[in-house]
Amino acid sequence: MKFTLTMSGADLLLLLPEILLTTWLCVVLAVDFVWPQLRKDRLAYLSVGGLAVVLVTLFWFDLAGISGTLFKHMFVVDRLAIFFKILIVGTTLLVILASMDYVRRFRFFRGEYYFLVLMSALGMMFMSSANDLLSVFITVEFSTFGFYVLVAYLRQDLASNEAGLKFFILGIFAAGLLAYGISLVYGETGKIVFSDIASASATPGLVIGFLLIFAALGFKIGAVPFHAWIPDTYHGAPTPITAFLSIAPKVAAFAILLRMLFVSLATFKPAWVVLLVAVSILSMTYGNIVAIAQRNIKRLLAYSGIAQIGNVLIGLAAGTKMGSDAMLFYLLTYLFANLGAFAVVIAVGNVIRSDEIEDYSGLNRRSPFLAFAMLVFLLSLAGVPPLAGFIGKIYIFLAAIDEGLYTLIVVGLINVVIALYYYLVIVKKMYINEPVDPSPLRISGPMTAVVYVGLAGTIILGIYPRPFIDWVVGATLMFSNLVGPTASVLPPTVLPFGG
Amino acid sequence: MVPLSAYVAVSAVLFVTGLIGVLIRRNFIIVLMAIEIMLNAANVNLVAFSHYLESMTGQIVALFVIAIAAGEAAVGLAIIIVVFRGKISTNVDEINLLKW
Repeated sequence: MKFTLTMSGADLLLLLPEILLTTWLCVVLAVDFVWPQLRKDRLAYLSVGGLAVVLVTLFWFDLAGISGTLFKHMFVVDRLAIFFKILIVGTTLLVILASMDYVRRFRFFRGEYYFLVLMSALGMMFMSSANDLLSVFITVEFSTFGFYVLVAYLRQDLASNEAGLKFFILGIFAAGLLAYGISLVYGETGKIVFSDIASASATPGLVIGFLLIFAALGFKIGAVPFHAWIPDTYHGAPTPITAFLSIAPKVAAFAILLRMLFVSLATFKPAWVVLLVAVSILSMTYGNIVAIAQRNIKRLLAYSGIAQIGNVLIGLAAGTKMGSDAMLFYLLTYLFANLGAFAVVIAVGNVIRSDEIEDYSGLNRRSPFLAFAMLVFLLSLAGVPPLAGFIGKIYIFLAAIDEGLYTLIVVGLINVVIALYYYLVIVKKMYINEPVDPSPLRISGPMTAVVYVGLAGTIILGIYPRPFIDWVVGATLMFSNLVGPTASVLPPTVLPFGG
Repeated sequence: MVPLSAYVAVSAVLFVTGLIGVLIRRNFIIVLMAIEIMLNAANVNLVAFSHYLESMTGQIVALFVIAIAAGEAAVGLAIIIVVFRGKISTNVDEINLLKW
């Protein structure tokens, strides 16, 4: 057997965003080594600058419609991959801005922090482009390596160490399942590229293999019953990393799930729909019910995140183009609302050094801006009109109605009410209770910027979702041949508020 | 010639051994070793399938799995050492600070 690798300039162009980011993270690390006295804030701005360039490149790719595959179909660039990369790079950029105050607290390794964040982002960008089982395995592990270190970053803090250890053990356990699953699928089909697997028939090896792969990806997105690591890891990790962890890896894992289910396993749709419906119902219900009992805001957001993933899975369970559109849109609304909520938690935590919900009492007196921002983000997560979360939920429920998944919708609606309850408990504490210490909270410039971006995203997506809906509809054009048994796809024009 | 089913059986036994090890052993280092066994079960499978299917893909995948397993051991042992410094323990039941 003979291998040849030929790459032209046009092929390298497809890798341009990744090449840029790789160069840039080396620059950040080198600058940190060469000028140890350099203020670490400068490194953060350097990273943000690099990410902004990558973001611009990605938007250019999207507008110019650049697409293609590389390395014998291992790596694919299409509008779907670019959509996910934009989400990931945008999240990383905001997370770095939100980390700056927090990093000042570290006694060691402040510079390497930014390097590790960028490296995880690079891994997740490759995840969104993964198009065969080998690249799934490598990219999933690549992106998680940085996170293992980042979660355990507070060396003196026992909670952070413990969170890192728990995350690590469950992470590599998932890697073990993934590797074994891949070996079985390879053994049954002899192929590893997603589109080549599509013609396979359902043999026991293939079924077990894919179940193991889904279990591993279930760990990454934190869906019940693979959620065990989520609350402890979120609680112990440095708060900006919790924010990062709650969005970016999940988004990237959904890119893989989407390709795998819609491309490789399109013929087995009835089987995986049942599976996804069950996981979605379990995630929503478990996440929301356990969230009620939480007293720590990071744990509460962890459980609410599990429930939100249940909502995203509704779109995946619909298994149509509209379902995938709704899923992408929901991820966009989740990004802004969840990142914004974590930004408020970071800003408050930097001053009061506590993440207990009790300490949010009277936040409105101490910082009306943060209290209002938190209110908007929580209401958007709950799905209250006219905010982004409302459009996201409507869109995803419409996609499910089209496919006749009524049980899922009923459970979803009940969960909206449960979620609203515990979000409003926080709102009540912020606005009605009296603060113990009424001194005003000061927040820094970068932090304010992040909160403003979150607010802008949450409100604009809610009142004028049209361009964003067009964007997600365009991103999933490759799935337009996927229609359900009823095939009555509602055009997105039925959405309210000009959507 | 050894039939393919023999390799798959060995690999399945290894995988289940690793799985049970992760679930019942109480020491993090042993858990780490059990997970390495799971990864190696995948490698046995991949190389055996690669030979019988006469495609090189499986062996390439196995090489990457080995590389990633090495990286995991490096990161994991570092984290275990940090935890050990704080707790003087590598026992699963004593790492219990975070719960609600």
